[in-house]
Amino acid sequence: MRRSLKIAAIVAAVAGLCTLGLAAETVKVGFIYVGPIGDYGWSHAHNVAREICEQNFPWLETVYVESVPEGEVETYIDQLVRQGCNIVFTTSFGFMDGTYAAALRYPKVILAHCSGFMRAPNLATYMADFYQVYYLNGLMAGALTKTGKVAYVGAFPIPEVKRHLNAFAIGVREVNPNAEVHVRWIYEWFNPAAAKEATEALVAEGCDVFAFTEDSPTVVQVAAERGFPSFAHYSPMYDFAPDYVVSGQLVHWEAIYLDFLQKVHDGVYTNENLEHVDYWWLLSQKAVEVGAKPGMMINPVFEDDLKAYIVDHPVFGEISAYDLVMVRYNQMADPGVTFDPFQGPIYDRRGVLRVPEGMWMSVDSLITMEWAVEGVVGPWPGEP
Amino acid sequence: MGWEEWLISTIARALAYGTPLLWGTLGEVYAERSGVVNLGVEGMMAIGAFSAFAVAQSTGNPGLGILVAAVAGGGAALIHAFLTVTLRANQYVSGLALTMFGLGLSGLLGRGWEGVPLKHPLPAITVPYLADIPILGPMLFQNQSIITYLGLVLAVVLWVLLYRTRWGITLRSVGESPATADALGVNVYLVRYLAVILGGVLAGVAGGYLSVEYRPSWTEGMTGGMGWIVIALTIFVAWDPVQAIGGAVLFGALYHLSYRLQPWVAPELLKLMPYAAAIIVLAFVGLGGAQRRRGAPGALGVPYARGEK
Repeated sequence: MRRSLKIAAIVAAVAGLCTLGLAAETVKVGFIYVGPIGDYGWSHAHNVAREICEQNFPWLETVYVESVPEGEVETYIDQLVRQGCNIVFTTSFGFMDGTYAAALRYPKVILAHCSGFMRAPNLATYMADFYQVYYLNGLMAGALTKTGKVAYVGAFPIPEVKRHLNAFAIGVREVNPNAEVHVRWIYEWFNPAAAKEATEALVAEGCDVFAFTEDSPTVVQVAAERGFPSFAHYSPMYDFAPDYVVSGQLVHWEAIYLDFLQKVHDGVYTNENLEHVDYWWLLSQKAVEVGAKPGMMINPVFEDDLKAYIVDHPVFGEISAYDLVMVRYNQMADPGVTFDPFQGPIYDRRGVLRVPEGMWMSVDSLITMEWAVEGVVGPWPGEP
Repeated sequence: MGWEEWLISTIARALAYGTPLLWGTLGEVYAERSGVVNLGVEGMMAIGAFSAFAVAQSTGNPGLGILVAAVAGGGAALIHAFLTVTLRANQYVSGLALTMFGLGLSGLLGRGWEGVPLKHPLPAITVPYLADIPILGPMLFQNQSIITYLGLVLAVVLWVLLYRTRWGITLRSVGESPATADALGVNVYLVRYLAVILGGVLAGVAGGYLSVEYRPSWTEGMTGGMGWIVIALTIFVAWDPVQAIGGAVLFGALYHLSYRLQPWVAPELLKLMPYAAAIIVLAFVGLGGAQRRRGAPGALGVPYARGEK
């Protein structure tokens, strides 16, 4: 409703002309957002990245359209191309078909679609994924729970959220093999009231540590009111509960945008060679960060508790949860990645072996994950 | 966990979630009792939510925020009153426009306010002594909002005003048959203006509750469709302020249970539960309506023009 109400989308054009005043080298980029930039979540994060790009590249000019209904993306691409954009970023999974169709109609324009899988010579795909970060958050959550019940408020039961939830649960069980991750679905990306009531339901269920996927700080706020630790999602939410936010997931879309735009500017990427350009950027590319605010991986308030929690680890022997987080972080953040949360053997909660001993999952199987790992309790629509 | 725990958490959450529904419904009941449908509740709530947050954040006084939300909601309703009462525009169209206007305006003004926690939210209160009563204490008197209690009192006051006073008779007569009321010397326009504005004031408070107490923070679109639930509830409770308490609490309870019951019942089904309940009751209202329109004001939705038939 909210989206379609904005029939007249607000289009802001900021001219960042090159210092010499010559526009010959100018690249004009259009961004299409699914939500309002004020959502403090997904679209907000893309827009922050857009602003950073504009500050970094004097030859760059950007425009954006917000709250675009998913079915109407083609019309908005038309509009941006008519305004002279040579590059268009579409930032919602639901924009995929429209973006692909537009790519075929505008072979001279470079397009990039976020979170999808359809590519063309002039259409790339990109994604900054959180699953490693959720796993690290899970290690902390498993060490902090006293009831053995960790909560997760999920947006939609789709592969992306399931992957994150599974990674989180794997982390929880690595330090606390008997702990459970209780899940509730709210069927919205953004609905503070639903997130609040789902959190309250999990509190009543006996959960005492909270993680979530929803575009508002509601879960963090509600958990803090009850005196429970939580993990921020997507945007810096530390300020909402400085004594209760342990860590969280932060995104840096600018890492991808800066790289992509620089390569277009340098002539590395053209409208003819994007067929295999798929950014799947994680910790080691610095597209995502662990923490509830930039630069603070673990809230100092929880450092002592995490250092005091000793795990008898199959690989590292006796190790504190704090040190385990650091070791695992380094294994994943260093350019030569030596660990993945979905490292076999991994069984789903029905006992089926999903990842054989010693194997890692391919990107394709990660982005189509439907099963639930052991330790997840609660509804799981679409469970195979 | 025994049944007590279920009962306590369900009722306690039902009151918290039901509070904005109650305030909004009370307002809409009064507006519709005067014969004016206002579909702009969602917009008025959004305006209330934003103005309450902005004022509470800049002054540090959440109470003042609620007050300003009430004024802002009333102001928004005044637009609807002017269009529908004075200009006799179509009430449904005007209300829808008000919703779009309210959501758009609050979103625009709210730029830059999102993502910051409210420094001084309205504190939750625990009533001394009463909170210690077994079961009833944690159910009704722990960590509830002052707005919740005020809403309950207001519902009773509005019921008494509506059914036991001359003012109430005047209001109802304007909604039933404005021409008759006019003939008896009632200022139909004035009554309708006041009722619609009161509706806006209460919707504004409902929005303010969301941003300075329930959340407490501001995000565009944070009313999330509550205004539409209010429209349905108004019919559901048969335009009766005291029944509005039951309606709001029932809706709140269903909402809470839709998350509690997820391990056992398909979440897709539960998500529908509150809305399915609304449809079922509306259907019953429709079926039973032949005998006794269950309180629906006779002139609901009809603009009144003096001297016209």
